[in-house]
Amino acid sequence: MKLFSYFLLLALSAAVLPAQTPAEPTVVKKKRVLAATDGPASRPVVQSSSLVKVNATSQPYNLHLPWQKESPSGRRGLGVVLAGNRVLVTAQMAADATYIELELPESGQKMPAKVVAVDYEANLALLESPASDKQKAFFAGLKPMAVDASARIGDAVSILQTGRVGELIESPLLIGKVLTRRYNVEGSGFLVYEANGIIRSEANSFTLPVVKGGKLAGLLLSYDSKNQVTTILPAPIIEHFLKDVADGSYEGFPGLGMELQATQDEQFREYLGLKSDAPGVLITTIMKGGSAEKAGMKKGDILLSINGYTIDSRGDYKDPQFGALSSSHLVRGRAYVGDKVEIKVIRDGKEVTLNGQLARRSPDDYLVLPYQFDKGPRYVLMGGLLFQELSRPYLDAFGEEQRGGAILRLARIAAHPDKYEEEGRKKLVFLSMVLPTPSAQGYDKLGGQVINKVNGKAINDLNDLAEAFKSAKDTWHVIELDDFPHILYLDTFNAERDNMRLLGGAYRIGSLKRLE
Amino acid sequence: MNIRPLLPLLALALLPSAASAQPAPAPPPATQAIDVASGAWEGIVNIDVSVLFPDYREPWNAGQPSGGSGTGFLIGKNRFLTNAHVVSNATRILIRTTNDPEPHPAKIIHIAHDCDLAIIEAEDGKHFEKLKQLDFGGIPQLNTEVIAIGYPIGGDRISVTRGVVSRIDFRPYSHTSVDSHLAIQVDAAINPGNSGGPVMQEGKVVGVAFQGFSGRVAQNVGYMIPIPVIKRFLKDVEDGRYDHYVDLAVSDFSIENPAQAKALGTNGDGVGVMVADVEPAGSVGELLKIGDVILSIDDNPVMNNGLVRFEGELMDMNEIVERKFAGDTIKLKYMRDGKKQEATVTLKRFDPYVRLGAQYNQRPRYIVHAGLVFQPLDRNLMDAHQMRDSVVNYVFDNFLTDKLYVERPEPVVLTNVLPDEVNTWLSPYAHSIVDEINGVKIKSLKDVKTALEKKDTAFIEIRLLEKNRPLVLKRELAQTAHPRIMQTYNILEDSYLGDE
Repeated sequence: MKLFSYFLLLALSAAVLPAQTPAEPTVVKKKRVLAATDGPASRPVVQSSSLVKVNATSQPYNLHLPWQKESPSGRRGLGVVLAGNRVLVTAQMAADATYIELELPESGQKMPAKVVAVDYEANLALLESPASDKQKAFFAGLKPMAVDASARIGDAVSILQTGRVGELIESPLLIGKVLTRRYNVEGSGFLVYEANGIIRSEANSFTLPVVKGGKLAGLLLSYDSKNQVTTILPAPIIEHFLKDVADGSYEGFPGLGMELQATQDEQFREYLGLKSDAPGVLITTIMKGGSAEKAGMKKGDILLSINGYTIDSRGDYKDPQFGALSSSHLVRGRAYVGDKVEIKVIRDGKEVTLNGQLARRSPDDYLVLPYQFDKGPRYVLMGGLLFQELSRPYLDAFGEEQRGGAILRLARIAAHPDKYEEEGRKKLVFLSMVLPTPSAQGYDKLGGQVINKVNGKAINDLNDLAEAFKSAKDTWHVIELDDFPHILYLDTFNAERDNMRLLGGAYRIGSLKRLE
Repeated sequence: MNIRPLLPLLALALLPSAASAQPAPAPPPATQAIDVASGAWEGIVNIDVSVLFPDYREPWNAGQPSGGSGTGFLIGKNRFLTNAHVVSNATRILIRTTNDPEPHPAKIIHIAHDCDLAIIEAEDGKHFEKLKQLDFGGIPQLNTEVIAIGYPIGGDRISVTRGVVSRIDFRPYSHTSVDSHLAIQVDAAINPGNSGGPVMQEGKVVGVAFQGFSGRVAQNVGYMIPIPVIKRFLKDVEDGRYDHYVDLAVSDFSIENPAQAKALGTNGDGVGVMVADVEPAGSVGELLKIGDVILSIDDNPVMNNGLVRFEGELMDMNEIVERKFAGDTIKLKYMRDGKKQEATVTLKRFDPYVRLGAQYNQRPRYIVHAGLVFQPLDRNLMDAHQMRDSVVNYVFDNFLTDKLYVERPEPVVLTNVLPDEVNTWLSPYAHSIVDEINGVKIKSLKDVKTALEKKDTAFIEIRLLEKNRPLVLKRELAQTAHPRIMQTYNILEDSYLGDE
C-alpha cells in the first residue's frame, strides 16, 4: 500500500507498518570455519563455547476450532548463553512451545529448558534449565557472552552458525542501515540493523547470533537471499529487554500511543502554519489510554520534540549513534515504562510543553487482540453456536481473496475499532461458526456476525456472553447481531441438551468454553 | 455470489432457420425436418453490433471499440425483441435476416438492463413488413421439449438446438449481476450468439435465451427469460418509457429453527418468513421491522422459506411483486410481536442497488481538478480501477447492508492523481473516498463541483474518509496548474457530470 510509507507510528497501533514477516530466515550454504584466513587477523576469536543449539516444538491452537490444537512442528535455533546460565533466543522459538531443549553443539548433550521471560513484540525470549547436577555439568563448559550495543553504520559483524559436529561457521556482514520496523507481530516499529552480505548455512534456523568483536551485537531476524540483505534485532533492544527482566518484573517496551503524519509537503506546511524550514510533524491519532493521551496530547498538535530531541518534518530525530531515526525509537527503544517524558508541541499556534509518564498498552487493552501465543483462543459454545473474540491472527488466517462479506467487515472493525471501543466494548464478540445441531437448525450457514446483545444484555466480551446465557427471559435465548439476520433464537433446553451431546462427540470437544 | 460464472451469451448471430412445424398447430415431432427457405422463421434475425466500452480509468477518453453479435426476433411492426446485453454500449446496430445478406441499420427503442431485454427497430422498416412476427406462449412445464433458435458460435447460418425444460427458478441475471428474476433452465445447448433468440415450444415463443455457464463450471445448463418477465417488460414500455422493477427491499430469513418459530409466534404450520433486514428507502421501509413475519402477499401464503405457490409453481415471494409496476399496491399480512397485522403497500423502485451492478450506455462522469480525478463509486469504477483500498471496498460492499446510501447516496472516489509539481505529495491518496471538500459534505459528484467553486479560502481542503490527513492545495497554485495538467495529460474537458 502506497499510503503506508507516509505514516509514522509511535507506539502500538493497528496495521500501519508494512507487514514484514521475518519467519524462518532461509539461508544458503558455504561455510567458513572460524579460523579461516580471510578474517582480519586482529579480530578477537569468537567464543564458540557461548552458543547452544535450541530445539523447540511448537503447537499453536486451531483458530477456527479453538478447542483443538494444530499438529506440532519443530523449530531450531542457536541460542546465546548469557550470565546466570540463561539462554537468549528470539521469541519465535518460544511461541506456542510444548517442549524446548538445549543441545551442546559439539557433544550433542541435551537438556530441557523453560521460558523465563518472553516479549513477542520485541521478539526476544530468555530460557533457563532448572538447577540440577546435570544442568551444572551442561553449563560447565559454556561461557556467557557479553552484549555490545556499540555497533554503528559501517561496522563489520558476523552471523554465527554451527555445523554438524559443532564447528563454528561465520558469515561476515556489513551494517548498512539502521531503521525501525515491525518485528513479527502487529505493533509498532523497533530498531533494526540492516546488513549486507551472504549467509550460508547448514539448515534453516529461527535464531542466529550476530557478533561484533566476540560480543553479542544482535540476533538474525530475516535474510533476503535474493538481495543478500539481512535484518538484525540489535543489541540496544536486547539490552533493554535484559535490563527489564533483571529487576524481577517485566514491563515491556513503552509506547506513546499516537500516529504521526510527515509534513514535507510545502503546501501542507503552509496550511498548518509551519515555516518551511521548521521542525515538526502532525499528530493524527491519539490512542485511548496511551501515554500520549495521558500526557495531554491532542489530535492536531504539531509534535516538535521528545525529551529534548527535535523531531524533523519526516518524524525523525538525530540519534547520536545512528543518525536520522524514527522518533518512535526515542520512546520505545531508549526509555522504559514508568519513565518521565517531556513533549513539546505547537497547539493553536503556541508552543506547549507536556509532561507525562510512559506506559505500555498490553495486548489485552486492544479491542482486537493483536497477537496471541501459548494460550488457546477464548470461546463459548452454546447449542452448536461458536462464539469467539475477534483477533488479528483469526483475520490473518483468511487470505486476501477470501476477504469478502463478513471477513471484510470484521477486518474493517479491526482497522477502526474506535466506534466499538466508545460503546464500551472490551472485545468484539462474534459468531464464528455453527456446528450442525438440532437446536441450531436453520443457522448452519451463518458466521462472522458481531454480537450486540444476548437476552437483552450488552455483550462487551465473552464473559458477558457466558453470563447472559444464564438469564433467558423465556424458554429461548435471544441473540441480537450487528448484521443479517439480526436476531437468532435458541431453545434454552435443547441448546443445553446439544451442549451435552457435543462434549466428547464427533467434534471431540472437551470443554464448552475457554474463558481464562 | 454464485452468479459469477454466468455468461451473457452475446456472440454470434442466429438466422431464422426453418423449424419444421412453425405454423402448424400441433407440436412437431422431434425428428421433423425444417425448411429454412420457407420463411417461417425469417423474423428471427441476426443482430450485428459495434460497441464502445467506456473507459472508467481515463473517463475523458472515448473508450475501447469492439463488436459482437446476437439474435433478435420480430414481435410487432418493425419491433425486434433481443437482450439488453446484445445492444448495450452499441454505436452501430445492423439487422440481417437469414435469407437476405443486406444489413439494415437499427436503433434501440427501449432497453431494460435490469431484466436484460431490449426492443430495437430498423431505421427503414419497409424490408420487414412482410415478415411473420412470432407469437408468445406461456410458461412451459418441466420436462417438456423446447428448441432454441439463434445465431450462436460455430457458423454463420441459423442454428437450432433442442432440449427440455429443466428447472424454473428465481435466478440472478448476469447482465447487471445484481438483479434476480424468474428464469427457466433448459438443457438445449445455448451458446454465445444465441442471446436474444427465441426459445420455442409448439411454434410459440416461451422464452428468450440469455445466459449460461462457462463449460468449466457446468454442462447443459442454459437459461431463458420466461414469458412473465417479457410480458412485464412489454407492458412497462407501453407508455413509451421503461420504469424499472419495483421492490419490497426486504431481506428475509427462513424460519427453520423451532425456537425461532416459537419466539416469533408462528404456530409451526410452515407459514411465514422472518424479516431480517429492511431498506429504509424501500417500499416497506416505514412499515416493516426486523423480526416481523411476512405471512402472505396478495393473499398468497408465504412459506417459512420465503416461497409462495404462484401460478402452479413454487416461487420466491418477490415474484408477486415483480409482476407489478411502480404505483401498484400489494396487500401484505404480517405478524409483529405475535399479533397479525395487515397493510396495503404502494410499490416503488429501490434504486440505491443499481450502482452495485454493471451499468451500460453511460458516459463515465468525472471531475478533474489540478490533476485530482474524482469519480462516483459504482461497479464499473471498481472493476476498471481494480480498487484494493479497504475503505473503498468496505463502502462498496456494505453500501446496502450498512445503509451507507442513506448518508452518502453517491460516494465519490479520488481515483487518480495525475502527477504534477502541485500535487506531488498527494499521489499516495488515490483510491480514497472523499468525505468533505472546503467544508462541503460530498454526497454526490455534483457536490464536488459545488465545493470546488467555493473560492473564499486560500486553500482547497479535501478530507478523505478514514485517511488521517486532509489533502490541501494552495488555491492559486492549483489554478495555475490546472490548465497545464489538462494540456499535458490530453484532457479536453475537465468534467462530465451527466446529461441533466
